[in-house]
Amino acid sequence: MNISKIANLKFFYTNTNTLTVYLSLFTFLLFVIGIYWGLFIAPEDYLQGNSYRIIYFHVPAAWLSLQTYIIMAVTGFIALVWKIKIMEIASIQCAPLGALFTLIALITGMLWGKPTWGTYWVWDARLTSELILLFLYIGVMVLYSSISDKRQAAKLTSILAIIGLINIPIIHYSVEWWNTLHQGPTVTKFEKPSAHITMLIPLLYMFVVFNIYFLTVLIKRIRLGIYIREKNSKWMKEYHDV
Amino acid sequence: MISLLLKKELVLYYRNLNNIFLPLIFFFLIISIFPLVLGPEKNLFDKIIPGVIWITAILTTLLTSNNFFKDDFNSGVIDTYLTSEVSIELVLFLRIICCWTFTCLPIIFFVPVVSILFDISFYNSIIILTTLIIGTPTLICAAIFGSALTLGLSKNNMLLPVIIIPFYIPVLIFSASAIESVTSGLPYEMQIYLLLAFLVFVLPIMPYLLKYTLRISINN
Amino acid sequence: MEILINSASCIKNNNVIFDNLNIVLGESDIWLITGPNGCGKTTLMRALCGIQNLESGSILMDKIDIQNPKSRLKEKIIYIGHKNSLIDNLTVKENLEYLCAFDSTVELNNKNIIKEAMIYFDILKYQNYMVSDLSEGNKKKTSLARLFASKKKLWILDEPLNNLDIKSIELFLNLIVSHQKNGGISISSSHYNFLKHKENIKYLEMSN
Repeated sequence: MNISKIANLKFFYTNTNTLTVYLSLFTFLLFVIGIYWGLFIAPEDYLQGNSYRIIYFHVPAAWLSLQTYIIMAVTGFIALVWKIKIMEIASIQCAPLGALFTLIALITGMLWGKPTWGTYWVWDARLTSELILLFLYIGVMVLYSSISDKRQAAKLTSILAIIGLINIPIIHYSVEWWNTLHQGPTVTKFEKPSAHITMLIPLLYMFVVFNIYFLTVLIKRIRLGIYIREKNSKWMKEYHDV
Repeated sequence: MISLLLKKELVLYYRNLNNIFLPLIFFFLIISIFPLVLGPEKNLFDKIIPGVIWITAILTTLLTSNNFFKDDFNSGVIDTYLTSEVSIELVLFLRIICCWTFTCLPIIFFVPVVSILFDISFYNSIIILTTLIIGTPTLICAAIFGSALTLGLSKNNMLLPVIIIPFYIPVLIFSASAIESVTSGLPYEMQIYLLLAFLVFVLPIMPYLLKYTLRISINN
Repeated sequence: MEILINSASCIKNNNVIFDNLNIVLGESDIWLITGPNGCGKTTLMRALCGIQNLESGSILMDKIDIQNPKSRLKEKIIYIGHKNSLIDNLTVKENLEYLCAFDSTVELNNKNIIKEAMIYFDILKYQNYMVSDLSEGNKKKTSLARLFASKKKLWILDEPLNNLDIKSIELFLNLIVSHQKNGGISISSSHYNFLKHKENIKYLEMSN
């Protein structure tokens, strides 16, 4: 049992080296295509002109920030119940990545708000929920860094992530409800544009690209996590000497 | 068995009355500095007093629950809890109830005084009391969960609030809005029911969750 | 009752604490674990109680893994760690009552059982003193007094002799021996061999 668990890590580490190189190049290429598509090919918006184009970063980042939290909680759950080491590493490595996506969503949201609405920040449901999500991520990262035994830290942060996941719909619902209470009937400013297909397709494309980016970075980070955990072990030293 | 557990809690609080007294004073102190900072206009305070009361309640519950398990951990009593065949869930449940009774209930009793300080009408005070009675146990449960997570860490006093406050947000939103709805004459039942739902959902699972977390936290 | 420790190993924070440990604990055994500081005595004891997870290997009680709830491990063990597990703001008597409430084999209906435990360890005169006011030796005696009242079969004691004076060490030794006569198992850890003039002692020497 013990051997197979370590073999998992070793197997993953030694076989993903070239994979990450190709994935990185592929992701970069896809991003370049996506940026060109979003900036130049997609049509101008009727109301907002060209400033809407930032949604091609804002919306996928927001979707992915939530998706990463779900992945973090699910891999944490698997790590707790089935005690699979690589899931522990994957779970905690999702956290900075998810925080990055949340930050991108918030900053692009702010940049979108300025030309569209005149202010950088407004306390609407979506941005406020994103902000709370950022705090959830930060909580996980801070808890992990405070505990010196990293395996114990991984378990405790998994529990926190799972409880956080249960709370996310509740928080989201309560923030939306709060927003409608205080906003009144005005249209929310950051609605997804109601779907002209030539605007929607690049959006979905960028969502896929962000996912591939997530995968690339996660694999690299898992490799890093494995290295940190196993750097004194025999197979790691042999691997790096060769 | 239960009587012994309760006796221990009561004796501990009785011997250390500061544990009851200080949260109450802290609550009043924080509420009192709001007018100093914001100016004593009645119009302003009518609008913000529900929020002020609730933020102060949050701060109080966080700070008092920070050390819920710390003494037990440092003295090794948690090892006894976890190696005993007695149901630790029962012990934890009783401890949570006692913690709420001795730290939050005094605050709740003194809410009428806050009403006098800020000239809140009787009906509004009742609703503030109701939200506090239903909401603070949920807050205490969340803070105790945080204290179980951060058990061995004595250095970071800010860690618990940073981790747990996002979980407070639903309770906060619905309580503050219930009070505001009453003030504006809008229906408030939904908020109260939701707060009750939170409590009913969180309180029974809390002992099991705490036991699981404690087992991992002491595995140091 | 028999406890088997099979190829147990434990890793904490990337350090191997102990590896490939095999021991059999049988009825009426008195075990003494010795070894230098940091060799893993406390970790082993906590693993026996079920509160420390093993990296590999298993501990079986009567052929059932102790992590399995069916093994009913907790009904049979009493663990006294080297932290005394006493509550500072309670008196000696209250502490004993509270701690014995966690031990279902103590007949708390018998009002005198706590008193007899205190008399045995000669701490009756401190019964109404706050534990925080006692000396370290008296605190240790208070924490060991639970053993007098308990009828649990397996005693897991981490450094039970810390801070005890010679008379108290004798009292403790007599307790261990009478526990053995009743068929109980005890496993203690210590820095020196306090059982050297007794017979039938099983030793485990651990090293770094």
